[in-house]
Amino acid sequence: MNRRHFLGQSVAGLGLLAGFSGQARANLQKAEILVIGGGYGGATAAKYLRLFSNNTARVTLIEPNAAFLSCPLSNLVVGGSRTMADITSSYDNLSKRHGVKVIQDSVVSIDPDKKTAKLASGKILSYDKAVVSPGVSLIMSSIEGLAQANKEGVTLQAWKAGSETVTLHKQLAAMRDGGVFAISIPEAPYRCPPGPYERACQVANYLKQHKPKSKVLILDANQDVTSKGALFKKVWAEQYPGLIDYRPRNNVIAVDAKTKTLKVEVEDDVKADVLNILPAMSAGAIAVNTGLANSNGRWVNVNYLNFESTAQKDIHVLGDSIQVAPAMPKSGHMANQHAKVAAAAIVAELSGWEVNPAPVLTNTCYSFVNERQTIHVASVHQYTPEKKTFEPVHGAGGLSPAPSTLEGIYAWGWAHNIWADSLA
Amino acid sequence: MSGLSIAQISNPSQLYKSGLVATCANCHGTNGNGVVGASIPLINTFTSEQMLTQLQAYKNGSREGTIMPQLAKGYTDEQLETIALQLGKKR
Repeated sequence: MNRRHFLGQSVAGLGLLAGFSGQARANLQKAEILVIGGGYGGATAAKYLRLFSNNTARVTLIEPNAAFLSCPLSNLVVGGSRTMADITSSYDNLSKRHGVKVIQDSVVSIDPDKKTAKLASGKILSYDKAVVSPGVSLIMSSIEGLAQANKEGVTLQAWKAGSETVTLHKQLAAMRDGGVFAISIPEAPYRCPPGPYERACQVANYLKQHKPKSKVLILDANQDVTSKGALFKKVWAEQYPGLIDYRPRNNVIAVDAKTKTLKVEVEDDVKADVLNILPAMSAGAIAVNTGLANSNGRWVNVNYLNFESTAQKDIHVLGDSIQVAPAMPKSGHMANQHAKVAAAAIVAELSGWEVNPAPVLTNTCYSFVNERQTIHVASVHQYTPEKKTFEPVHGAGGLSPAPSTLEGIYAWGWAHNIWADSLA
Repeated sequence: MSGLSIAQISNPSQLYKSGLVATCANCHGTNGNGVVGASIPLINTFTSEQMLTQLQAYKNGSREGTIMPQLAKGYTDEQLETIALQLGKKR
């Protein structure tokens, strides 16, 4: 049977052709696998659990959003050159093509002893294996007054693509010419290291065209730009002279919503017109509340061979929630790669096989510096058994030499391909 | 239907190989079937031999590019051979 002919088989029929032997195959087929969170990690895990099991594993995906909203590229929506429609994809193919049961709901608690998850709707689902991919939680209490300011709509974070992304653009569009758009960055690690600097570019790109007397103020708690530093600084100097005021070692500790004033550690207070304040982050709430965040109470330690939590058996954690290996970024691309290693390991375990002793991960990350040009960073991470971790391969990976329109075109190609790889 | 075109997996070795090949899928599509018209070069027209030649050229620096010269250097020669054998069009 050739590959094309094979495509014509029904999803249900595929399992019958599987070569898994006896009991192992039965274990794989009867296991209930619950994937919690349908972002880059969770959606990919759901799809690849089906693919790697020859479509025999029973996979349920729980995701509160009706559609997949991409955080990568959402800064273009903040800057106004793209809309949410450009970064939204359907979950339909996960069920239609791949036989994943998709439930639009959220998990409010996990009982690791009973191996159950409780949904917001009240339903309780049992699992044999849980894959937890909840992204990050923003620790609003880490900045005094931030929770209240967010509630009043004065400070938005827009660090998860959605309604705040659109509202932040509206705030930018409504800002007076001569105003200040402030972005604050927490100490690393946080989701998407180059994201805040890309956002600064997108806001500056808008201001340059529409409100040239205005400014972007970046208050960075870190010592320096945390990703693609030299490239971003060159762009700021060459494309946005006088528009971006970058201040490293500026840690925002409080916000006054009424006066739109930011209190910065050691430095003078700062007033701004739009306040885009990013607080410290942790593993997603469900991971923290389940007691999985055993690295400083913020991130989840995992066994990198199968991404199983070191705190709870049979709960595998992916993406931004994990305590990262050296030089491993918290990115959507990386979450997709985690998912494939975890999916293969879960299928191996349920089949009675050894898990792959030598998995590989890659990362590719584009940042748009205006509406057309991007800069990238790429890396390859091989598993090192002696250290039980992934390490970046020396001599591989790297940065763009300069902003590139061709790479801007590739960035959209990357997006359409990774969305298809995760969802279609 | 790109999602269903992954080869059948019946032993650990096939699973590990499928996992390795999946590292390419983010940019080049599941099992090498990229989104048509999405600007990233489609690789599903190459034979295994052609693909290996390209991957080695990226790794040894004789072929230029944007991302691929940087990523190819991160894989062992054996891994590149596996990728080419798995993803390349069978004659």
